[in-house]
Amino acid sequence: MIRRRSTGIALMLPASALVVLFLALPLLLLFRYSLNRFVPGQFMVDALTLENYVKVATDPYYASVLKTTVLMAVGVTAACLVAGFPAALYLCRASVKFKAMLILAVILPLFVGNAVRAAGWMVAFGQKGIVNYLLAFFGASPATLMYTPAAVFVGIISVNLPFVVLTLQSVLEGIDPTAEEAALSLGATPLEAWRLVTLPLAIPGVLAAGVLCFILTMNAYATPVLLGGPRFQMMAPVVANEVLNQNNWPFGAALSFVLMVVTLALTAIANVFVIRRYSR
Amino acid sequence: MAKRMTRREFNTALAAGVALGASGLPHARAAASGPVVVGTWGGDYQNLLQKYVAEPLLAPKGIEVIYDTANDTVRKTKLMAEKRLPRGSMDVVALTASGAYEMWKNGTLEELDSSRMPNSKYVLTKLRNKYSVPHIYTGRVILYNASKIKTKPTSYADLWNAELCKDGRVGVIDIQYQTTIESAAMINGGSLTNYEPGKAKLLELKKMGVKIYPTNEAMAQALKTEECWMCIMWKARGVMWQNAGIPVEIANPKEGIVLYVSEMSMAKNAKNKDTAYAYLDAILDPQPQKEFAKNMGYNPTASNAGLAPDMASRIGFDAATEERFLVQDQEYLAQNDPQLQEWWNKVFKA
Repeated sequence: MIRRRSTGIALMLPASALVVLFLALPLLLLFRYSLNRFVPGQFMVDALTLENYVKVATDPYYASVLKTTVLMAVGVTAACLVAGFPAALYLCRASVKFKAMLILAVILPLFVGNAVRAAGWMVAFGQKGIVNYLLAFFGASPATLMYTPAAVFVGIISVNLPFVVLTLQSVLEGIDPTAEEAALSLGATPLEAWRLVTLPLAIPGVLAAGVLCFILTMNAYATPVLLGGPRFQMMAPVVANEVLNQNNWPFGAALSFVLMVVTLALTAIANVFVIRRYSR
Repeated sequence: MAKRMTRREFNTALAAGVALGASGLPHARAAASGPVVVGTWGGDYQNLLQKYVAEPLLAPKGIEVIYDTANDTVRKTKLMAEKRLPRGSMDVVALTASGAYEMWKNGTLEELDSSRMPNSKYVLTKLRNKYSVPHIYTGRVILYNASKIKTKPTSYADLWNAELCKDGRVGVIDIQYQTTIESAAMINGGSLTNYEPGKAKLLELKKMGVKIYPTNEAMAQALKTEECWMCIMWKARGVMWQNAGIPVEIANPKEGIVLYVSEMSMAKNAKNKDTAYAYLDAILDPQPQKEFAKNMGYNPTASNAGLAPDMASRIGFDAATEERFLVQDQEYLAQNDPQLQEWWNKVFKA
């Protein structure tokens, strides 16, 4: 236990200094850029204007991109939690030897970068890809999978699922299995035991895994670009396009801040809602 | 036995050394040596630069080429971000013609002294400017699958074919938004200084059901699988795709051939200006110019490249077409590119 206050401050200092240096200061700079003006041919012109934020708020195009991003993030988070919870539960109840193998199997996809994984999906989803090959094999007509929201949905789930499973598993490991057994011995069905005992105890893990998955999806870049195609737009690729292709740093900075604020706000709302719901 | 040097002998040797050093100084300044950092595209382009510029022409002079590989948009961002620094991270920067103009207008590029690049006297007059060395060029054409489209296209207007579009056989490329709007403008009363009429024309194409491919590579794949039959593309790409067995033929639009020029410039805050000049001169050398033509299908920008006639006719254009070469208006593009891209993203792709 840290007894002296000065020792505590000293221990916090290196990490805090790094955060200030590499996160807070660049964010401040980005915020300042977002108040500048973009003049075609001249790039960024020093100004103090809110016109970039007004444009984000009033242009229906950006509202629709933000809506797509939020819907995708909510959908992916729900799907990952639904698919990840049973997997995590199975993982934490497996025998020690088998568990090590299973954890390795969950971690293994993380060894491959997002872009490479998306490239793999491109091969699978192409007109002459493995999915259409299987469809043809079973007599079904070929489907257009590439450059669709469904392709992005599947692609992001494959990226996020290992994070969700590992986060849930670490929390589920801490829950005493006798609590569920007690519920079962008192006449609860397995579903009731899960809903009334395991799930409430696992809520901190569900919340952490959900927040992680939601944030990762809100900021997804490679998967929407590679699998979504030209017509599917999410926020991170739109920000990158403003900064890199249009050299419009002020508007790119404003979009970044909007994305960050919306992500933080929705995360905070979800936290408050879940904590209120389960702290009764 | 060691002989001791007298004071007179020492002074003579010192004077001789100083004289020798002084006589060598101008020579040392003229023949640059050391590193040069080249911001360039990767892949084949960088490999050819290494194989035919860096190794045979610069390494013997003691110039070490270091590559900063990225897309040109990243290089432009870097030039702008480093504008206020006394020394930037790149010496030579590869950019498109419009990118180089944009960077020049923003004061990030050095005005070049042609007397320090002996090969610059061979640069084709139409491609010359004071802030960059044109490296390679090609022209915009129509690619089509001759086994599916029996009548050879003669105009960009031939892409506006409702029957073909309905079945998704006509494609445009997302990253080629600027040239696609430009092509549409050229058949709808617009010009290289007015792309606006192209927007309405493209909305007609959208209504017909044109397919949008994200990149040139995605288009190549669609042409290869014969999913797409016709598109607008650079002739150099068309030649390379033919070499790769993709079933496409090349047609010149009667509206004229608009040029794509890849240029190299020197950053205003370059650390190694002498080696940068040596590099810019070397890219105009006949041998690398010929190799880029052979390996990438781009035309030489130097008149002394000496291409074989069969190669010249395959990648180039006849004299009558060359007479009508069109060069983009860079000032118009600098002013309008952001709104053109915004329209493409928000209206055409929506």
